[in-house]
Amino acid sequence: MGVLNKRTALLKEDAVEDDDLVDVSGDESETESESEPEEGDEDVKLSEPSKNAIYNTDGLLDKLGDISWPDNVEWIHKLSIDIDQEQEVDVNDDLARELAFYTQALEGTRQAFEKLQSMGLPFLRPADYYAEMVKSDTHMEKVKGQLLAEKKKIEEAEERRKGREAKKLAKEIQAQKQKERAKQKKEDIESVKKWRKQRQQSGFAGGDKDAAMELSLEDGKAFERSNKKRPGVAPGDRSGGKARQGGMGKKPKKREIRNSKFGSGGRKAGKKQNTADTINDLRGFNKDNASGDKKRKR
Amino acid sequence: MGKKRKHSETAIAVAPAKKKDEAAPERPQRTLFGWKDEKHKNEQLEEEEQEAATHSTPLFRNKEKVLVTCSRRINFRYRHLMLNIVSLLPHCKKDNKVESAESKGATLNELVELRSCSSSLFFECRKHKDLYLWMAKCPNGPSVKFLVNAVHTMEELKLTGNHLKGSRPILTFSSNFDSNAHWKLLKEMLIQIFGTPKLHRKAKPFHDHVFVFSIVDDHIWFRNYQTSVPHNESDKIARGGLDNMTLVEVGPRFCLNPIKIFGGSFGGPTLYENPFYVSPNQIRALEKRQKAGKYAKKVKAKTRRKMHELSNPLEPDEFADMWKE
Repeated sequence: MGVLNKRTALLKEDAVEDDDLVDVSGDESETESESEPEEGDEDVKLSEPSKNAIYNTDGLLDKLGDISWPDNVEWIHKLSIDIDQEQEVDVNDDLARELAFYTQALEGTRQAFEKLQSMGLPFLRPADYYAEMVKSDTHMEKVKGQLLAEKKKIEEAEERRKGREAKKLAKEIQAQKQKERAKQKKEDIESVKKWRKQRQQSGFAGGDKDAAMELSLEDGKAFERSNKKRPGVAPGDRSGGKARQGGMGKKPKKREIRNSKFGSGGRKAGKKQNTADTINDLRGFNKDNASGDKKRKR
Repeated sequence: MGKKRKHSETAIAVAPAKKKDEAAPERPQRTLFGWKDEKHKNEQLEEEEQEAATHSTPLFRNKEKVLVTCSRRINFRYRHLMLNIVSLLPHCKKDNKVESAESKGATLNELVELRSCSSSLFFECRKHKDLYLWMAKCPNGPSVKFLVNAVHTMEELKLTGNHLKGSRPILTFSSNFDSNAHWKLLKEMLIQIFGTPKLHRKAKPFHDHVFVFSIVDDHIWFRNYQTSVPHNESDKIARGGLDNMTLVEVGPRFCLNPIKIFGGSFGGPTLYENPFYVSPNQIRALEKRQKAGKYAKKVKAKTRRKMHELSNPLEPDEFADMWKE
């Protein structure tokens, strides 16, 4: 209780009697907000000026008269410029504050340079005037490195962003294309159907052939291509499926199969792997079972 | 070597009239580049005399020298700030660390006198955290004590500018320095301490940086910018050059919060006291107390509950001992 009272008295000159809990918590939040650091190690101000602060105007002005240079000192000795600050600057807005300082400096230098120019004094460093600088070369090298690294980072990020966007765009285009293709197909089928109807109406006598074709057209499978690169070809096949289809005529069939299997070139791996075709191919299965059974029976 | 030459030059500058009075033409001085051009010198002297005559005062010469020191046990960051300021002020003398606290006023005054300086900047670090800056005009005051906040040193890589070491800075002040007596005094002190004297022996003849002193929120903010103007000759700016001028920040940055102004140097009667000032110790104590407040609140709530229970006792339960028999 006493501790709390003291704390509030610190910030506010008039100590508030805080008896109920609600009041205390309210005070707490207030003090917290007040003591929040503004910029890392920023300070806190009293909410209202303390009453017994000394302000000796006469003394201050007296001292000012003591130390100040004679009135007729030329400007070149002082090099000081006063700049009007147009509006109040918000301290906590870093950007606005720095901008205010920057404009002040810029305006000041302009005025000073004009004055110097009117005096006819050289004030700009010639390009061939080399002298010791405030920051050493090694330090400036570091600064440069830092700047370059930052630039590189930004560029890389930009690149990545662009890549992502391009990918997105490509995807969209692809989807669009597929849609169009499907539409085209539908239209084609539609037109064929229409044409057939027209033909039937006009009195063309279609046979069984037509019906069969219709069936295949109905589910649209006839237009679909197999999505395999080389349908009916085993992955290790070097002849491009020709061996399976059986002979080009001259060479014996067996030789061709062998060539396709063992001949030079092509991938060697996956040769013995089954594919859908080899699985479905039951030609070699149970070939001489019947005779074998007979033998066993005997 | 350099010192000697400087001495002779000052002698010429300070006492021009005396030399002229001497009737017999003196033998011209010998310099590194041959005989010193007596005629030219005379002209120069006459010019200076004329200047002096028009002003009807002795020729003004700024002989400001600033002693820069710090207290022992200073933080590295603050020490770097001090070194940056040393590099910005060619007219300063840096001294060893001084034992801070108690009797610093007297010893510091002695030290300044010993080094024949006319003003001093004393960086006092307390608790390795808080930096106080004393700015004093030395033989007889005034002196100001600041709390230094928001320190950024020149070593930081985001400050990319660079300028000649020892070129004279242009000092810009925001107009609210003229609003109050204490700000006026501070402005005069800042001009004298941070302005490099004209014709100082270490000063370079060009101007390529600008200091900003601005009062925002009752604090003095300091910035140092490099000016870059497109030009090809040293005294002429290309057309539109002033409009194309850009500034690059060199650093350091700091923010001064004036605490007190004293009449003497490092002491004396208080002339001004910042009515809004809270010392960082108090702030820290406050934060600690806030944390401690949690427990106090809990205890308080407990006692209040007890008081409440005592004042409103429960009615005796008539069925309490129903099943006991």
